[in-house]
Amino acid sequence: MMLKDGVPKMLRLVYLLLFILLIQVAYAKEANDYNDEVTFKDFTLNIGDRIDLGDYQMELIEIQSVRDGLVVMRISKVGGSLDEQRALLLDSPNNFDGGAENRGITITVADIFDELSSKVRIEYPQGLGTARKHASERPALALDKPELSVQKSFDKNQMSVGDEVKVTITVKNVGTGKALGIKAEDIPPLPEFSYVAGYPPKIKETLDSGQSDSAIYVINAVKEGSIRVPGIMVSYSDAKKNAKSNSSDPFNILISPKSKADLAVRMTSLAPIALDGEGNLNISISNLGTASATRIEADGTVMPSEGLQITGLEKSFFEILPGADVNYSARLTGQKPGNYTIRVKVNYDGGAGSEIQEGTLKVVVLEREYKYQYLLFIIPIAIIAAWMYRRHREYKY
Amino acid sequence: MLNVLILGVGQCGNRILDAINKEAFGGSGASKLAKYYSRPKFPSRVDTLAINTATNDLKELRFTTAKDRLHVANLHGVGANRNVGKQAFMDNRDMIMGEIEKRGDFDIAFVITSASGGTGSSFSPLLINELKRQYRDITVITVAVLPFREEGSIYLQNAAFSMRELMEVDADGIILADNQYMKRFSGDIVSAYDKINSMIAQRLLFLIESLDSEMLSVTDLGDFKTVMNGGLRIGTMGFYQSDSKNLSIKDAIENSLKPVNLLYPANVADDAARAMIIIQGSRELLDVDEITKEVERLSASAGHVFKGIVVKKGRPKVLSVFTLASAPELESIYAQAARGMQDEKEKRCRARKQLDDAFAHIEDLEEIY
Repeated sequence: MMLKDGVPKMLRLVYLLLFILLIQVAYAKEANDYNDEVTFKDFTLNIGDRIDLGDYQMELIEIQSVRDGLVVMRISKVGGSLDEQRALLLDSPNNFDGGAENRGITITVADIFDELSSKVRIEYPQGLGTARKHASERPALALDKPELSVQKSFDKNQMSVGDEVKVTITVKNVGTGKALGIKAEDIPPLPEFSYVAGYPPKIKETLDSGQSDSAIYVINAVKEGSIRVPGIMVSYSDAKKNAKSNSSDPFNILISPKSKADLAVRMTSLAPIALDGEGNLNISISNLGTASATRIEADGTVMPSEGLQITGLEKSFFEILPGADVNYSARLTGQKPGNYTIRVKVNYDGGAGSEIQEGTLKVVVLEREYKYQYLLFIIPIAIIAAWMYRRHREYKY
Repeated sequence: MLNVLILGVGQCGNRILDAINKEAFGGSGASKLAKYYSRPKFPSRVDTLAINTATNDLKELRFTTAKDRLHVANLHGVGANRNVGKQAFMDNRDMIMGEIEKRGDFDIAFVITSASGGTGSSFSPLLINELKRQYRDITVITVAVLPFREEGSIYLQNAAFSMRELMEVDADGIILADNQYMKRFSGDIVSAYDKINSMIAQRLLFLIESLDSEMLSVTDLGDFKTVMNGGLRIGTMGFYQSDSKNLSIKDAIENSLKPVNLLYPANVADDAARAMIIIQGSRELLDVDEITKEVERLSASAGHVFKGIVVKKGRPKVLSVFTLASAPELESIYAQAARGMQDEKEKRCRARKQLDDAFAHIEDLEEIY
C-alpha cells in the first residue's frame, strides 16, 4: 500500500527486478557454495598411473624414497596454467591452486607400498567433477632392487667339547639391483665357543644381482649343552641408498661332552680249571668311548699270588678306535686248588690324559678230581657182594 | 701131600663132616659168616662129601659146599631101616661112586657114620667095600658113632648089626666115638651133639695134619695103618692141649690118654693093643727125652707105640690114637641091643597073639549087610 502510494510503478518494477536479482544471486551463491564443497578420494597408483579431475591431471612419476617417504608426482592443468613436478612427503598435504579449500586441489601421499606404488589421497571441491584413475599403459619398469639372502651354517650339527667347527656365512644377492655397503654383523662370540680364526667374517661390500660371497670362520666348542645359534644379520642399501637388511634363521646345535676313549675290560674263562690242568683266559678290551685310545698297556695280577699261573697276560696295543675292541688270550695253569681273583689293569691314553681301567674275574681251580673215586667204594663192595653171593650159591643146597 | 677123602654118611656123618669143614674155617672161633670171606684150610688135599637120603639133613649143613652134598634119592630117608638103606645104596651105587671118582685118587678115606642110624649104618659097610674095590691102595678108616643108649631099640639094633658089618668089611680100622660116653660134656642133647661133633672133627684134622707134616720124629700113614690094624681094629682117639699153667709135655701125654679125653670109654693101660702118640708144640716145650720116656712107659702096657713130634709154635697138643685089644663096652651094647631085640620080638609075638585072638572072635562068621 505504501509502495503503491509512495513509489512509482517503474521504481517498483526496478525494485522487483532487483529483488528478483538479489534472490537469484542469493540462490546462485547458494548454488556456488554447494559446488565448492571439498571431497576426497584415495587412489593406489603405480608409477605412470594418472588421475584426471576436471582440468587437473596428476601422474605418479617416481617413488623417490620409500625410507624417506618421498614420492614424485607431476600435476598439470589443461590449458597450461599449471604444470608442476613436485616431490611429495609422506603424510604431508600438498596444495595446488590454493588447495581444495580455495577451489584448487590438495594431494597427500597416504602410503608408500614399495618402489613402484603408493597410496595417494586427492582432496578437491566437488565442483571440479569426479576424479578418475587412468592406469598407465606402459609396462612397469623393473626396478634395480637388491635383495640379499643370508645363510649361516655349521659344518656339523653335533659336536663334542674340543671339536673345531667351521661356520660358513653365505650372502647372495637374489634381487635385481646392486647391493651396496654390505655389512655382515655376526653376534659376538657365544660363551660355548672360542673363536679360532676368520672372525669376524668378511663379505664383499657390493654384490651385483645374482652374485654371492661367503666367509668361513673357525670356532672351537668349549662347553657342552644344547645351544641356539642366532642368525647373522646383513645390512645393505640399494642404489638409491635405501637401507635394507636381512638375517639368517637361528638354529640349534648340540655340543656333547668332550670325546674321549672309554675302555672296558671283559674277561671270560670257560670252566673251572682242574688241578694241574690248563685253561684259557680270554680278555676283551672294548673302546666304548668316542675317541681313540692309544698306548694301551694291559697287565694283571692274581690273588692269591700262588697256585694259579698265568702266562700271556701282559699285552700292548697302539690304538683302539672308538667302537672297536681287541681280544687276546692268556694261559692259565692250576697248581693249587682254590678260588682266585684275576685283576687285569689297562693303562691307556684316552685323549684327556692317562687313564686306567680294570677288570676282574674269579677263577676256580678244582680239587683234584678223582673221577672214578666212587668206584673205589663200589667195586670192593660189588666184589664182596659178588663173592658173598658166589659163596652163598656155593653153600646153598 | 696126602690125598684125603672124608665121607659123612647119614645125618650123624653129615654133621660131623660139617663140623670138620667148620673146623677148617677156624674151628669154634670161626664166624657163621666165615664161609663168605674165607676158605677152609685143610692141612692136606682134603675132599669132603656128605651123603644122605634125606634132603632136609643135607640142608642143615652150614659149612659144606653144595657140590659136596650128595642126595641119594629115596623119598625122605630110609626111616632107620637098614634094609631099605642098603637097597637105596645099591640102586644108587654107580651114582655115588661116580661122585667120589670125580674127586680123584685118595690115599686115605675116612667114612664117618653113625652106627645106629638108617642111611649111615646101612650105606657105610657097602660104601667101604666099594671104596676098597675102586681104590686099590686106599686106606679106609671108619669113624663110627655109637648111639645114646636111651635112643631106642632100633638104633641099638642097627648099631649092633652095622658094627658087625663094619668089622667084616675090608676096612683098615674103626675109630669109635660113643655119644653116650661123651654126653657128659654138655647138659642138653643139642649142645652135646655139637660138642661131640667138634671134638671128633678137631681130632681128625689134627691127625691128618700130623700125618702130612714134617716131623721131628716121624709117623706116617703106614704107621697109622699099622696102629689101626692092631687088636680088634677098633680104636679111639684122645686129645689134650696144655693150658698155660701147665706146659709139661709129660702131663699132656698122660692127659691125652685119660678116659675123660677119649671118644670112647677105654682103659689104655689095659685095653690098648697099639697106639700112636702125636705131639705138637713149640720146640722149647718139646722135651724129646721126656716124650720118649713117656712113650716107653706107655709101650710097656700098650704094646707098640708110635710117636710123632711136630714142631709148631704153640702150647703142646697131644693126639693119641690107639686100637683096642678088648672092647667091653661094645659087648654091653650088643647085650643091650639083644635084649631090646628080644623084647621087641616078644612084644611083637604078644601083639600078634592078641590080634590072632581078636580075629578068632569072627572066625567062621560072614559079613552080613
